[in-house]
Amino acid sequence: MFNKVLIANRGEIAVRVIRACRELGLQTVAVYSDADRQALHVRYADEAYRLGPAPSRDSYLRADRILDIAKQSGAGAIHPGYGFLAERADFAQMCVDEGLAFIGPKPSSITAMGDKAVARATVSAAGVPVVPGTEGEGALSDDELLALAPQIGFPLLIKATAGGGGKGMREVRSLEEMPELVQSARREAEAAFGDGNVYLEKLVEGARHIEIQILADTFGNTIYLGERECSLQRRHQKLLEEAPSPFVDGDDELRQRMGAVAVRAAQSVGYVNAGTIEFLVDKDKNYYFLEMNTRLQVEHPVTEVVTGIDIVKEQIRIARGRPLRYTQDDVRLNGWAIECRINAEDPYNNFLPSIGRITHISTPTGPGVRVDSGIYPGFEISPYYDSLISKLITWGETRAEAILRMRRALEEFILVGVRTNIPFHQNLMDSHRFMGGQFDTRFIEQRFSMEAADINKDDHAEIAAILATLVAHRQTQRAANIIQRGARDTSNWKWLGRWERLQR
Amino acid sequence: MKYITTIGEREFLVEILSDDQIIVNGKLYHVDFQDISEQPVYSLLLEGKSIEAYVYPVEKTWQVLLNGRFYPALVEDERERSLRVAAGSQVQGRGEYQLKAPMPGLVVTVAVVEGQQVEKGEVLVVLESMKMQNELKSPRSGTVSRVRVASGDRVEQQETLLTVS
Repeated sequence: MFNKVLIANRGEIAVRVIRACRELGLQTVAVYSDADRQALHVRYADEAYRLGPAPSRDSYLRADRILDIAKQSGAGAIHPGYGFLAERADFAQMCVDEGLAFIGPKPSSITAMGDKAVARATVSAAGVPVVPGTEGEGALSDDELLALAPQIGFPLLIKATAGGGGKGMREVRSLEEMPELVQSARREAEAAFGDGNVYLEKLVEGARHIEIQILADTFGNTIYLGERECSLQRRHQKLLEEAPSPFVDGDDELRQRMGAVAVRAAQSVGYVNAGTIEFLVDKDKNYYFLEMNTRLQVEHPVTEVVTGIDIVKEQIRIARGRPLRYTQDDVRLNGWAIECRINAEDPYNNFLPSIGRITHISTPTGPGVRVDSGIYPGFEISPYYDSLISKLITWGETRAEAILRMRRALEEFILVGVRTNIPFHQNLMDSHRFMGGQFDTRFIEQRFSMEAADINKDDHAEIAAILATLVAHRQTQRAANIIQRGARDTSNWKWLGRWERLQR
Repeated sequence: MKYITTIGEREFLVEILSDDQIIVNGKLYHVDFQDISEQPVYSLLLEGKSIEAYVYPVEKTWQVLLNGRFYPALVEDERERSLRVAAGSQVQGRGEYQLKAPMPGLVVTVAVVEGQQVEKGEVLVVLESMKMQNELKSPRSGTVSRVRVASGDRVEQQETLLTVS
């Protein structure tokens, strides 16, 4: 059994896994790229080794280097986090071949669920409905895709075969606009995954994205930890998640049915460890299997908060060959949890990623607040990795309390130096449709605008003007003082020049 | 000391009488203004109302982050103000817009050619960075006068990509 874990990831998730290891008394090994030498995960781990240059393919995607470091450091297990190598069956297999425990599912399960055609066929056989589409038809040419599109019907989605996270995904409303969209989807998929293959899928309109967290041990026990509501997305990137879902809450029968189906889907591929079954749910509560994520999810904390189960620690226990400590009856949902993904993106400028040095952070604390983050004052946000920098999670006895707490926590959360989407989340918390739980996966793109939300906000321009003037005045006064003093050995102009440079 | 502070379309005439008294658009306020340690954090007690904000310079303006919202403020004394107004019409005029890379990245597509007419909001360049393809749009209508990059180019932050005039 292993006592030392290598974390093959970076950022907040690497920190999250290190924390779980610490609590279990396990030694930790971090790996880092040249851009991350000073990152928190390197500083928190017991050991840290360099992988290579900043780009992911030269560092966090270098499976060979990671395995070398594992051997060199004497790590007995590898936790892949999410992204990077987390859903690469070949990497999981290499770990197994080297005698390392891969903290995740068996390579065969990753393959089965990673190949969407097999996944769909498998879960269909287990009695789970799937969304109509061309998955499983293999690598289709542009002409074949165009010919098949009318059979599926518009609107439809183009999705990357190797995909995830919304990359290489395009929505098509008509046959005319399709050729161009296929091209751009292929290009993005090629850049993101090194595989330009795409498939088509019918777009379920008014759909909600609801997923079920499952845990499975090596003794054949599989349980579900309730659902997560993940409908609030922009360009198919999740922005806010909650547990439970306002759409499912109050309908225990639906939750049990979806949970049982998720467990069956997992068992159909002999699944072990933590995983997530994603469903699309239409307004009549019909649910369709979307895909299975064979890894830890970004949004796992909301489930942890309402169930009280530490999913990462359970992952490690399962990988150490222990039986699950919970039965299905032990799983109880207590209250409500919401997670806001804090991204370095400017909500006032088309959510453009923002890079630069974080000069100041004030992190929310207090009752019912959890922050999972990989940043600190002075940390440089680089263009090499994705823009998620922190996750803010609040718990409330009710959904309303969780929302009010989130509002309060967002007010306390100050990040200076890069633009973040905090103002977006603040506007979302004030949105009546969000409060009422009336939203689908298109809500952010189609019905939500920062400009409209800001109009309803209190305007503090006068106070802002007073503050700016007082700060400017203070600076002018200080500059004047420096010039007035005559007894300095260097020229006052030189002093002023230095002082001004310091203020930049 | 008198200042004219502009936020968006609105102007505020702020006169600082002393450390604890100011007049804003003709109204007298008692203030207590402190900076918190070495950070750009300021605490203002305005007639007893406790306000905390982050204020830091960005180019010629002050960025005020107050209650989760940014207010870019231009603070000028009377002399600066009259100088700017005198020069105003020319600077404000229809100068060139230079599209600069907001971050380092890879140019995926240049969607326009030199001499092309573009509308406000039209995509000019697709720049890949932080694993995302980012569409850089034109802030106004005009003619693309110069294109300095091609698809496949790596660009640095603040590098000029093209010019709209």
